[in-house]
Order: sequence, then C-alpha cells, then structure tokens
Amino acid sequence: METTILSLAHGFAVAFQPDNLWYAFLGCLVGTLVGVLPGIGPLSGISILLPVTFGLNATQAVIMLAGIYYGSQYGGSTTSILMRIPGEASSVMTCIDGNAMAKRGRAGAALCIAAVGSWVAGTFGVIMLTIVAPPLATIALKFGPPEYTALLVLGLIFLAYMSSSSLIRTLLMACIGLLCGMIGIDNMTGHFRYAFDLPELGDGIGIVPVAVGLFGLGEILSTPSHKVGGEVISPKMRELLPNRQEWRESAWPIARGTVLGFIIGIIPGSAHIISSFLSYALERRLSKHPEQFGKGAVAGVAGPESANNSASTGAFVPMLALGIPTGPITAVLIGALMVHGVNAGPQLVTEHPDVFWGFVASMYVGNLMLLALNLPLVSVFVTVLRIPYAYLYPLIIMFCIVGVYEVSHSIVDVWIMLIMGLLGYALRKFQFDPAPLVLGLVIAPLLEQSLRQSLIMSNGNYTIFFQRPISLGLLVVCVILLGLSAMTFVLKQKDWRTKLAEAEAGEETT
Amino acid sequence: MTLRADHVAGAFFILFGIVVHALSGDLPTGQLSMPGSGFLPKIVATLTMLLGLALVLRARESERFAEVPWADGKHALMVTAIAAAAIYLYTITGFLITLMVMIFALLVIVERRNPLYAGGYSVAIVLVTYACFSYLLKTPLPGLTLGQ
Repeated sequence: METTILSLAHGFAVAFQPDNLWYAFLGCLVGTLVGVLPGIGPLSGISILLPVTFGLNATQAVIMLAGIYYGSQYGGSTTSILMRIPGEASSVMTCIDGNAMAKRGRAGAALCIAAVGSWVAGTFGVIMLTIVAPPLATIALKFGPPEYTALLVLGLIFLAYMSSSSLIRTLLMACIGLLCGMIGIDNMTGHFRYAFDLPELGDGIGIVPVAVGLFGLGEILSTPSHKVGGEVISPKMRELLPNRQEWRESAWPIARGTVLGFIIGIIPGSAHIISSFLSYALERRLSKHPEQFGKGAVAGVAGPESANNSASTGAFVPMLALGIPTGPITAVLIGALMVHGVNAGPQLVTEHPDVFWGFVASMYVGNLMLLALNLPLVSVFVTVLRIPYAYLYPLIIMFCIVGVYEVSHSIVDVWIMLIMGLLGYALRKFQFDPAPLVLGLVIAPLLEQSLRQSLIMSNGNYTIFFQRPISLGLLVVCVILLGLSAMTFVLKQKDWRTKLAEAEAGEETT
Repeated sequence: MTLRADHVAGAFFILFGIVVHALSGDLPTGQLSMPGSGFLPKIVATLTMLLGLALVLRARESERFAEVPWADGKHALMVTAIAAAAIYLYTITGFLITLMVMIFALLVIVERRNPLYAGGYSVAIVLVTYACFSYLLKTPLPGLTLGQ
C-alpha cells in the first residue's frame, strides 16, 4: 500500500506538470463537447482526434484521450436533460427523468445532480483503479500464452453475452474483426495475407481508419440532418443548485450507481451503456415511489449518470493491468499507446511508471476539472447545441479525412475509412453493433500469436489449455456463459439482456 | 417464403467466409504442433460461415427485408459520393482546395443551403483548420501537386 501511495504521489507530480494539466483540460473540454453533440460518440471523438496526439508523448496522449472518454460521459447528460436527445448511448436513461425535471423548471438542478454524481463516481472509480490495477498486473505477469488465449476468448464471449444484441450477431462482428486483424504480414512466418499486392496493407489495417469509418462516418451516413434537432431548454445560473430534498433523494442512488457501475465497468462489453440501464432499473425497483420514474424522479438522473461514469473508469482496470480491451474505446486507447511505443498490460506499471501513474493521477484532476467545467459553462454548451447539424457534419467529415490521413500519410487508409463508413451504415440497417468488430481487430494479433505459441509449446497438444489452472478456470467461465445463452435460446425466455434491448429500443422510438 | 433481413445478412456472411477460404488457398495451414499462417484465418472463416448459417436459420425473428428502412439512403449516397471525390482529389489538389469544395458541395448539394453562406462557411472553417494543423499542431497537410 505504501508503494502505491508513493507511486501515486509520483503520478501527481507528473499530472501537475503544466503541459499535462493543459492536455487533461483540453481532453475534458473536447470530451464534454463530444458528449454534448448528438451524432458524435466518445469512440468517434477519440478516433477522430487520435492523430492529433501523435505529436505528444505517450503520457500526454493517453491523458488527453482518456479525458475525452470520461468527459463525454459528463457531457452526454447535458443534451439528454436539455433536449431529450442522448448525446451518446449511455445517456439514454438520463433523457427520461432528466428532461422531465427540465420541463418542470428544474433543469439546473438535474444538471447539477448529474455533474456531482458523475464526479463522485469518477473519483471513486479512480480510487478503485489505483488500488486494484497494480496487484492485478502482478498476477497477470504469471500469464503465459495459454492463459492469454483463454482470457481473450473469454473477453469475446463475455462481450457477446453482455451485449444487448444477439450472441450470434456479436460473435459474427467479432469474427469479421478478427479476420480484418489478420490482414498483412504474418509475424511468425512472414507470409503476406489478404493484402492484394498493396504494400500499404503489409502492416495490416489500422484501428484508426476502421474506428473512424464505422463510428464517425457510419453515424453521419445514417443521420440525415432533418432527423437532428429539437427544442433546447436553457437553464438559468441561479437555478443550478438543487434543493435539500433533491440532494437527499440523490445521495443513495449516486452511491449505488457508483459501486454498480465500477463492477460492470471491469467486465467486457459496452459497460457504460449497460450500467446506466441497470442502475435505472435498480433505482426504480428500490424506490418508494416508482410511479415518479418517467415524470422527473431525481434518482432516475443520479443513479444512471453515476453508473456510466464509474463504469468508464472501471473499464481502465483490465486495459491497464492486463492489456485487454473490454470495449472498443479501450481498444482504441490501447492502439494509441501502441502508436507511442507503449504496450498496455502487466508490464506497464513497471516499465512506464510515468505513463501509468501520471494517467491515474490525471484522472483525479480531470474529474475535478469536469465538475468545474460542466456547471458554469452550461450556457456555452447550450449555444453549441444550437449549431445546425447540417453545418456540423461536413466539418466532422473533414476531420475524419484529415485525421485518418495524418496517421501514416496514406490515402489507402482514407479509402479504408470510407469503405468502413459504408459498412457501418449497412450494419446499422441490419441491426448489427459494429463495436465487437473493432475489438476483434485489436485483439486478433495477440490472440493469434498466443494461440499458436501455446500449440507450439505443447507440441500440438490442445489440452494445454485445460492442464493449466488459470486457463482452465477462464475456459470454464466461457462454457458457463455460452450455456446460459444457449439456455435462454432453447427455453425462449426473456432474460435481462432481451429486456435491456427492448427498453433501449422503446426509449429510442419515443 | 418471405425474404427477411437476416436471410440476406446470413447469406452475406456465408459468402464472405467462402471468399476468405478461397483467398486463403495458398496460405499454409500447418499442423497443430506448428500452425501456419492460414491456420486461424481458416478457423475464423469457418466460424463466420457457421454463424451466418445460424442467422439464416433464425431469420424468422428478424424484420422483412422489404421493411428495412432506406429513407436515408439518398443522403448516405450523396455524402459518400462527395467524400469519395474529395478523397480521390486530396493528394492531387491538396487540403485547402479539396476540403473547401467538399464542404461547399455538402452544404449546397446535400443540404440545399444558401451558396453564399455555404461558401463563406467552407472557406473560413478550412482556413482555421489549416492554421491549427500547420501552426499549432505543427502537422503538415498535403498541398497542391497538380501538374508536378
């Protein structure tokens, strides 16, 4: 524990360097804008701005990109409360009661509760990250190729199980991602795979063109400007503070949402989205006045907002400690670190303590910055919301093109982005979630290498995965999850995931 | 039989798996003790085909293919065409000209905005971005290479 405190103090020394403070602030500000603007999610925001970080060092880059991620969770609540349009998917539940509060003249109070809840949750998440990640990394050092193979397979199956779309659809997307990740030169044999004689494909398909295409361009293609709009409720500064009753009603939901969000955040899947849905359901079930939900219940804002922020911090635990992305956003962040020559994983704490502890400490600072940013600047964000989408999306397309091109000055990458944009558009039409595709793309090289190394180690004996206790344990969890999914399928029962998908669809159509 | 969305999607993934298998023809699969470069791609391609087949078999639960909403198709097509033209020209006519024209085209052709406002907006926004990249971020953007 003493070592952790000393390391954290070193992290604060890194985080308080003026440059790092500036990039944390910039990340938080851009993240809030990304969250506020409908049509740009945190993933597309991070992907588009990834090339901008190439001129920075690894610590500054990850501080800024993470600021965008957790900043977007804060910002998403503004659009939800003031316009009843979720700025990003995890704010869907905040729309219901947040906007109802706004219509009752309590917009300021709803924004304040969302911001304070997000701050409490974010700070709790970082404290837990500080405590949990280093020992987890020490355990992960004992992992060999079979353990990594089992862990990556478990990650994919967990993602498929947690997904609110079907298991088959999620696994299909993951398979396409894995196949995309195998394009290029095979590291172990030197064979050129699926490169169609294009030298640019020798290094494989980059995560940036794929993520920007699927989430940035794909979203724009499926969102004509006439679909984006609506009335913006403008809160007054003097109405920002909630009354005593509202504080009392929000305290426990914030506490519950915080703990629930962090636990779900560690598990692979779209944790920040799932956690807000589960928190809303939990608060409604525990409430003495469930009939108030949907009509402006304070707990309906406090719980989900805390949960999604805590989950976004929780997702950093497996990313930093194991080097395993639990979702597409952490996958892009791992990609960003790799661009700077830093591998996320168990060795990150020992080999790059500046990056690890500087990043953790910057999150404490970033959460404070967000609290200070979100409330006083709410009127500025309301002004941003009034920019017509028709003028906004050409700008985003420009950033997509420039951003992707600047990664490696390759026009082939920009064409890949366009193709991925069309693919993302088509996938949305057929109800596929493209997120597992990005995850598959990122883990493909690691999965292939660890699987082949395991088989070489055992001289072709595939029971190596069952002979080692950690990999056996992980594979047993895989079987249990697949069994649970199969049971739901065979018995045609509605489990929590189906109900979640229905709730999500129902909210989107209102 | 009614054609459903998942029939089409499933068939696409089966076809995709077949194409990957065909393209993997010259990649060595190797043995379990020494897997080759075609080992995992072939496994994943087979899995894709099986999952695609499962999607086709469960297609009754999906919506009818005719009911898949394509109302935004025209918007998507126009945006794609303009973006594709911009990408093609990007390294030829450079950042400034290409992206000014792209933003202007998107605003006037797709969004039917006033050409005067659209022109002013596209020039201003592209110049500001150029200045940001060139002077603040110190990132060179492609210039005009026409005729070089």
